[in-house]
Amino acid sequence: MKKTDIIKQTKLTAMIIVVFIIGTLSYNLSAQNKKPNQNKMPIYGHWKNFTSNDGLPSNKTYCVRIDGKRVLVGTNKGLAVYENGKWKTYTIKDGLAHNGVLAIDVSKLTGDVWLGTMGGLTRWSAGKFENFTQLNSGMPNNLIYAVICDAKDVWVATGGGAGKYDTYTKQWEIFTQQNAPMHEPWTYGVCEGDGKIFIAAWGGGVVEYTKKTKKFRDYTDPDGKMEIDLFPDDGLVHDITTGTSWANGYLWVATYFGLSRYDGVHWKGYFDHDSGLTSNFINYVRAVGSIAYLCTDKGLSTTDGKNWVNYTTNNSSKNGKATIIVGTKKTELAMIPSISHNFVLGVDVSNHTIWLATSRGVSRGELLK
Amino acid sequence: MKATKLLVIIGTLLVLGLIIYFPGRKLAREHVNYETAVQNHPLSCISCHYYTQRTGFISKLINEDYLSPFNLTVSKDGRRLFVIAQDANELLVVDADKKNVLHKIKVGIHPHSVILSENGKIAYVSNQWSDNVSVIDLASSKVVDSLKTGNGPAGLALSADGNFLYAVNAFGSNLSVINLKTKEEINRFSTGNNPTGIALSKVSKELYVTSRRQNPVAYGEPLVSDFTVVNDSTQKLKKYISMNNAYLMENVAFTPSGDLALTALTRPKNLVPAIQVERGWMMNDGIGIIEQKPNGKVVQLLIDEPNSYYSSLFDVVISPNGKKAFLSSSGVDYISVVNLDSIRNIIANTSPQMLKRLANNLGTSSRFVTKRIKTGAVPKGLALSPNGKLLYVAEMLDDKIGVINTETLEKIYTIDLGGPKRITIARKGRRLFNNAAHTFQNQYACYTCHPDNHEDGLEYNFASMGRNIVNVISLREIADTPPYKWSGKNQSVYKQDGMRFSKFLTRTESFNYEDLDALVAYIKTGIKLPPNLMYNKDGKLTESQLRGKEIFNRSVDNLGKVIPKKSRCVTCHPSPYYTNLKLEDVGTLSKTDDSILFDTPNLNNIYASAPYLHDGRAKTLEEIWTVYGGDDNHGRVNDLSKIELNDLVNYLKSLRGSNYEKSSLKTQHASF
Repeated sequence: MKKTDIIKQTKLTAMIIVVFIIGTLSYNLSAQNKKPNQNKMPIYGHWKNFTSNDGLPSNKTYCVRIDGKRVLVGTNKGLAVYENGKWKTYTIKDGLAHNGVLAIDVSKLTGDVWLGTMGGLTRWSAGKFENFTQLNSGMPNNLIYAVICDAKDVWVATGGGAGKYDTYTKQWEIFTQQNAPMHEPWTYGVCEGDGKIFIAAWGGGVVEYTKKTKKFRDYTDPDGKMEIDLFPDDGLVHDITTGTSWANGYLWVATYFGLSRYDGVHWKGYFDHDSGLTSNFINYVRAVGSIAYLCTDKGLSTTDGKNWVNYTTNNSSKNGKATIIVGTKKTELAMIPSISHNFVLGVDVSNHTIWLATSRGVSRGELLK
Repeated sequence: MKATKLLVIIGTLLVLGLIIYFPGRKLAREHVNYETAVQNHPLSCISCHYYTQRTGFISKLINEDYLSPFNLTVSKDGRRLFVIAQDANELLVVDADKKNVLHKIKVGIHPHSVILSENGKIAYVSNQWSDNVSVIDLASSKVVDSLKTGNGPAGLALSADGNFLYAVNAFGSNLSVINLKTKEEINRFSTGNNPTGIALSKVSKELYVTSRRQNPVAYGEPLVSDFTVVNDSTQKLKKYISMNNAYLMENVAFTPSGDLALTALTRPKNLVPAIQVERGWMMNDGIGIIEQKPNGKVVQLLIDEPNSYYSSLFDVVISPNGKKAFLSSSGVDYISVVNLDSIRNIIANTSPQMLKRLANNLGTSSRFVTKRIKTGAVPKGLALSPNGKLLYVAEMLDDKIGVINTETLEKIYTIDLGGPKRITIARKGRRLFNNAAHTFQNQYACYTCHPDNHEDGLEYNFASMGRNIVNVISLREIADTPPYKWSGKNQSVYKQDGMRFSKFLTRTESFNYEDLDALVAYIKTGIKLPPNLMYNKDGKLTESQLRGKEIFNRSVDNLGKVIPKKSRCVTCHPSPYYTNLKLEDVGTLSKTDDSILFDTPNLNNIYASAPYLHDGRAKTLEEIWTVYGGDDNHGRVNDLSKIELNDLVNYLKSLRGSNYEKSSLKTQHASF
């Protein structure tokens, strides 16, 4: 071997080693970013519950969104707004598309409030209501389960497919089994993260839409129609999905049969029998930072993927508890009063407060120091 | 012999001439009678066949390239005027002292407004048909940059700190916020419908954005137009302020003390029979006043007088001492001078109930209008000199700037911008089109219901007792799309604008033939269709639009059945105008309509013509089929999925003027 060849080979080897080290470091850094939060799980207490006796239009609440100093709550009798210690209700008489408000999001850009109702999509902009329906616009369907604002676009998950509304061009784009990998048009949830839109498609798992390429792919349960999770962590726990939420590099997927988490490479499943999840029947998921908040039929579960804090109430009294699970250690903290009801449908958190929409009004908790 | 031959030839020619002349004249007479719908219009071929040429040599011969000053602003030292020459696509830099044009700076297409940076070194010009703002270095008189906006930028304003530019997108009905450091649009807010004017209150730091068209309302409901209020500091929408029963709010201004915001507006009575024009009650002109304090009143006062209306209000400016407001009425060529202290007194000392009634009171203007000042043809934009002593008026169809002494309230001179001296027939027609003199009491001009030569988005009751309510039709491409009226009763523009027009709409003497010739020449040659930059910028259709095009042209439905020819979109709506120029039944005749078929409308730029159908019952294109297309009478659509219907609608929105589709087509010549 010539000397120059040896030098070349050495250089190549050195380059490979450098690339390998950089790659390993990057992977580790990336993995560290996705590691569960080493900080303590937030624990909320000092619950204050609001019902129709306090000014809510109804105790049947579906969703909640914190918007600066006010809180927006969707009920079956209109939109309730909590501001300066008082509730104010907006209904179809004020311009809502329908009194059943199932989903709320607020545009960070414009401050517009978007309300998904049982009778169409309402934009509440600086006091003015504007309605989009399947009849007066290109919106897929009037039954809207989820709405999110993604820059200038508004996405909805409806009973007739997912829809994207471009607020600049005022045009709708519809995604159903006709043009996307869905089992049927029924969609329950939608979220944005990492340049993608994740649609919870009923019976179709999760449909991922890459905004840049406008391409779809789907994630389904490898166990197919089986009601049990045959092989753990091999994919989605079930195809009947009820919500998606993306934060900190993780996609959280709610189903009526358990919880799934996806880090872009690996799936992990969580069930009530093998994790701290309080119930497999998950109505809604919202991830904020490293924590996922899971609204179930048996209370609220919160997790960082490893540790759990569950909030439940004794439905016959105002008392309840927070169950804290760290590894195998389980402790309970009495909550007097507790959350309003165990059937939780919506959640939102800000720095120090948490709001829950339940079947008996809304609950507000404060972060315990 | 030779003389005999000559006599025979002459005799033969004479006989032949007579044989041709009399039947020929008879044919010509019949032709003219048919086209004009009268029996005595002079037999002049050039009326219709010469002055209506749109391209080629004759068009160049008979037309001129006018400037058409539209808006303007004044430099801080008062020495320079910056004038938008809309038809020349130029910004004119004018020496206010020497009264001459110093520079002509080419900008984008169909410029609308101009503002200056705080230091006066930069001018920003909104280009309504280019969807951008030209940034002009005034030291070199050159365009140095172009800022992308939304669709149809019109009014402009700078943020209080000068770091952001607000551009009102008239066609997109939103407001672009542009960061002047990064030159990027950072936000876009929804506004009222078809906004044009914007002003920043230096006191409240709030931006007010006008709107010209009404909000979509339930069919038959009174109109409402919105002001959009944006907080300049937080750059968030603050609120919308409704102006009931009013529209065409072109511009807005704040008093220097910030106590009032003023807008020009029009109050149409579109849902009552048009016969009301005889009672002085069809179309009023006024000012909207918004008190700038918590729970401040929103008031409308008419500037009209009982027997003299001041139609087509456009601009409003307020003197530096906050005592006077000046409003331009482009339909009557007048500036109205308003005493603002009188306005303040009326608002302060009148009960809310009475204020509401004053919105329809023609006598109130005598309490606050102190002077009417005659201007040149079609006054549009206004600007005050920094000391407030001079008012500059863009006399659009004179190519001049009128200058008014604001102390004596007299017009003291004009600045000739150097436009053509010859007034062409079409230019004369354009003046007539914009002038309300042909309506009873000057109530409205053609332009009022057809702003920008388009339509005003309202439905009108042109008959009586609620019968035959009709949606106003756009005048764009009107020359090539006869017949006219929804019933198609008028076979020519001439007939449409002739006797019938005066009989049913203006309630005054009809145009004389010379004026009618000019008006028709303008309508048939001078109206241009804006580009469709929102949905079809370059002719390349999106995937959805292409799918929609297939549906539009299809002959077989989704079930495999052959669609009857009359139920195919393309049958009644063939290109280039997307009308077969025939009458059809689309199943939308209402019980209060006469039993008629409907003239098939032109579909180019149809996205900008909401509401839809002959009486405006469909608020959106979708509603034509989702609400009113249940029986498939208006094309076969009930087999379509929602995605396919969206594709069809997206294709319809992409349709644009035939002149944009055919690059080889000779472009329409000149401005008028």
